[in-house]
Amino acid sequence: MNTLHIRLCWWLVLLPVSLCRAQSGDSVSTLKKVTVSGLKKKSTFTAVTPLQSLTSETLQQLNAPSVGDAARYFSGVLVKDYGGVGGLKTVSVRSLGAAHTGILYDGIPVSDVQSGQVDLSRYSTTFVQSIDLQQGSPATLLQPARAYSYAAVLSINTPSMNALLLPAHQWQAGLKAGSFGLWQPFGSLQLKLPKQAMIGLSSEAVFSKGDYPFHISNGAYSEDTKRQNADMKSFQGELNGVKQFNDSSILQVKFTGYHSSRGLPGAIVFFNERSVEHLWNTDTYFQSRYRKSLGRNTGLLISGKYSRNYTRYTDPDFLNNQGGLDNRYTQQEYYFAAAIDHTIGERLTLAAASDAAYSQLTANLTNFATPTRRYFWNNVAAHYNGGLWQLNGSLLLSTVNDKTGSGKAAATINKLTPSIAGNLKLGESSPFMVRLFYKHIFRMPTFNDLYYNWIGNPDLRPEYARQYNAGLVFSKSINKVLKQFTISADGYYNRVNDKIIAVPNKNLFSWTMLNLGKVDIKGIDVNVEGAGQLTGAVTWFTRMAYTWQQALDVTDKTSATYKNDIPYTPRHSGSGLVSLQYREWSGGYSLVFSSTRYTLGENNPYNQLDGWGTQDAFVAWTKPMKTFCVQIRAAVDNVLNRQYDIVRYFPMPGRSFKLGLQLNNL
Amino acid sequence: MKQIRFVLPLVALVAGMVSCKKDDINTDTPPVATGVYVLSEGKFNNNNTTLTYYNFNTGVATTDYFANVNGSGLGDTGNDLLIYGSKAYIVMNGSSYVEVIDVMTATALKNIPFKNGSVYRLPRYAVAYKDKVLVSAYDGTVAVIDTTSLAIEKNIMVGANPEQMAISGDKLYVANSGGFNPIFDSTISVVSLSTFTELQKIVVGVNPFSVVADNAGNIYVGCTGDYVSIKPKLVKVSTATNSVVKSADTAVGNLRYFNGQLYANGGYLGVPYVRVLSTTDFSQKSSNFITDGTRVTTPYGLNIDANSGDVYITDAKDYNSSGEVFCFDKNGKKKFSFKVTPGISPNTVAFIRQ
Repeated sequence: MNTLHIRLCWWLVLLPVSLCRAQSGDSVSTLKKVTVSGLKKKSTFTAVTPLQSLTSETLQQLNAPSVGDAARYFSGVLVKDYGGVGGLKTVSVRSLGAAHTGILYDGIPVSDVQSGQVDLSRYSTTFVQSIDLQQGSPATLLQPARAYSYAAVLSINTPSMNALLLPAHQWQAGLKAGSFGLWQPFGSLQLKLPKQAMIGLSSEAVFSKGDYPFHISNGAYSEDTKRQNADMKSFQGELNGVKQFNDSSILQVKFTGYHSSRGLPGAIVFFNERSVEHLWNTDTYFQSRYRKSLGRNTGLLISGKYSRNYTRYTDPDFLNNQGGLDNRYTQQEYYFAAAIDHTIGERLTLAAASDAAYSQLTANLTNFATPTRRYFWNNVAAHYNGGLWQLNGSLLLSTVNDKTGSGKAAATINKLTPSIAGNLKLGESSPFMVRLFYKHIFRMPTFNDLYYNWIGNPDLRPEYARQYNAGLVFSKSINKVLKQFTISADGYYNRVNDKIIAVPNKNLFSWTMLNLGKVDIKGIDVNVEGAGQLTGAVTWFTRMAYTWQQALDVTDKTSATYKNDIPYTPRHSGSGLVSLQYREWSGGYSLVFSSTRYTLGENNPYNQLDGWGTQDAFVAWTKPMKTFCVQIRAAVDNVLNRQYDIVRYFPMPGRSFKLGLQLNNL
Repeated sequence: MKQIRFVLPLVALVAGMVSCKKDDINTDTPPVATGVYVLSEGKFNNNNTTLTYYNFNTGVATTDYFANVNGSGLGDTGNDLLIYGSKAYIVMNGSSYVEVIDVMTATALKNIPFKNGSVYRLPRYAVAYKDKVLVSAYDGTVAVIDTTSLAIEKNIMVGANPEQMAISGDKLYVANSGGFNPIFDSTISVVSLSTFTELQKIVVGVNPFSVVADNAGNIYVGCTGDYVSIKPKLVKVSTATNSVVKSADTAVGNLRYFNGQLYANGGYLGVPYVRVLSTTDFSQKSSNFITDGTRVTTPYGLNIDANSGDVYITDAKDYNSSGEVFCFDKNGKKKFSFKVTPGISPNTVAFIRQ
């Protein structure tokens, strides 16, 4: 290992932790969706492609402070979690890799053109109304074309979008405090203005020391110690405005700011416990959306946004002549989208959408490529409702053109990719439904893949994923005790071709990114949800998710990793939640588990990590007073104080406690 | 409640299938006899440096020998292994210490931390001279370790991010890479081994990495270049005049001098073969040292047994999976090979003499 090799190792290991944080979110989902997701319980039963949802009611029963923590309760999802409040959390759906998962924040895609993956620890669940995981293509046709460009989409929806439906002003304020120096104050205010307008403000701060205890296991050198340099401070604020015009068209605007400062505790390295790396993020974005009906059967949706993500990473210990590393990256994106849908007769809906985005990345590094990207998406989609059956199809044309300030730029890419989905209810009153879908999609190489100093390869092609899914859903209301019961099982086969991986060059000591990998993925997702009334005053709710998965590296028959599990893919994983409600009292218990998995592509016992299971519990008391409502909530995470790593040598917190007080108007 | 009856067995089935504990590993500790130790660096931030013991008589390679004997792992990114007298010195770059073991038992004798205040110095390579072991470290120093007290007696200031070293006469020659800087270093430091101080620096070429000495008062320096426009170089320096006597554009990684010839693997931008070069004009005596068609995927480490003339080439494969060690006779014909599973990226072979 020479210095270049070490620098590249820093890149391979640290970059995911540091640089892919720069993120932005966006606003607005379609109104059709709002009425479904906002006020009524979403039915996963009617979805054409597999849809899982966590509503705010369910989120309150899970001790999940961030969207990344909540995503662990979905089947088919692997959350890579580096531990603690400030630890990076990324999601890979059905083993396709984090870069194939799209994140929609209030309906508009969040992007990171540098690393391709979004850190979900940044999104607090405090103001979230629902988190949905949609496999394949969107269920609603009137969408930006870009929403069709992912293998799966995780949507984060806040209540700001259906604020017009509120009867009066709303406010909410609270404070959460917990182990390891956690303080989390938050508040929001929604003002109903005259003439069908509303303005909303929400804000939250998080302070955490993150100095949780853990055990280093290394023979005579084993010790009990505490996580160091894991402190975190973050502030976020959001300003939302909604105006409905006389022609019933709606304009929404959102302005968001986010700032964080955190230590990066890094991997546990034996005999070298020092950690002084630090990361700052400052993200701002502005976005707006306008929706209008053009006659009875035609809808128009126009969206736009601007985002700026600034990242600064420092390592004062780095042994160079400058007295340390100080890297700064700025990513900017301009985005515009227009979509139209038209319903013909009772049953057929057609839609078309065109999006354009311009992204650029600058950095204070020598020889930096300073890349820019022009992205165009054009999508046509059709939906046919045949009564008992539905058919959904779409065709997406993606055009990508890169330019660089220095060095070679990637060739322009034009790709046409289809998706098709259908479902069938077995009879008017049958509790059974079958569904099928196929989707072919790709992810573009990121700026890091293409242009990172020394390692990037501008000749990379996109990475393709084909998904095949067949599922069966059973949903029925049995009696009062089991008012609602749903179980779904989906089997899937995915094939990833031209997977982008870092490989050693034919020259020693040098690495490059290549389209080398092939992955064969088979899996089964099972979801169960039930709710009912035990007695007049006691209601119950449960949800369970289980995933069986086998993701095999089928790249090279002569390699030691051939037909071995790809890293960090457990055969079995799952989650469960049971909750009870009695008058002002509610309580719940939840668990998440994973079987053993391998940290490297070669599946030997040295590269194997123990399985883990973690159990959480809570009790809450909610009392409506004269003019406001009080909630006090106490929670214990990791009740059994089990030590586990999700990513090797990034220990997760043991048992911790949290106490929350929340007030809101009625 | 019919459905509950269906769900509960499903949950039980799932719980039963989940395997929670990892599989067993081999913990053998056969006694040490004539053979070699192999250091495998593992992967960055994975604490999986391993020491393999290979017995010439039995032909058995025992992996993770250090951990099996001592019950604890070496840690992160073992970069060099040196046997000197009855002790072996394992230079741990990521974990920032030097582990001293007894050669015949692999028992840990001393963990010598490389720290300057709270900053870790990240040691790199070791050479031995008259009861001292000299260790280069990325903080721009060479540490002098006494082989009896096993304490660091002195730190010699050299250039930025030093790498390999060679001894010629009573002087130490240190490659100053400056590899962590935007602009690389281009010098070697000349250090007096009587006063343990730097005497001067000699400009050789951009990003020096490997250094070897011949027995005629010359040293050879492999310079990696800047990975972009400045090409790799091989440079010959006369220690009599401390001046460059020959310089050529040829890419070398690890460099060995044996029996009047230079052996080199490719290094950055070089060929994936071990070549044999002339010490005078650097001409290729052999473009591929291996003559029997044996394929070494990624020739990474290069060590020559001075007694037999056998050449050991370690194969780092894809730097992500278990490596392999090949032994060739002096004519480039394979004598034997062994895997160092689970060792990743084997980089050094050291010879156990009884």
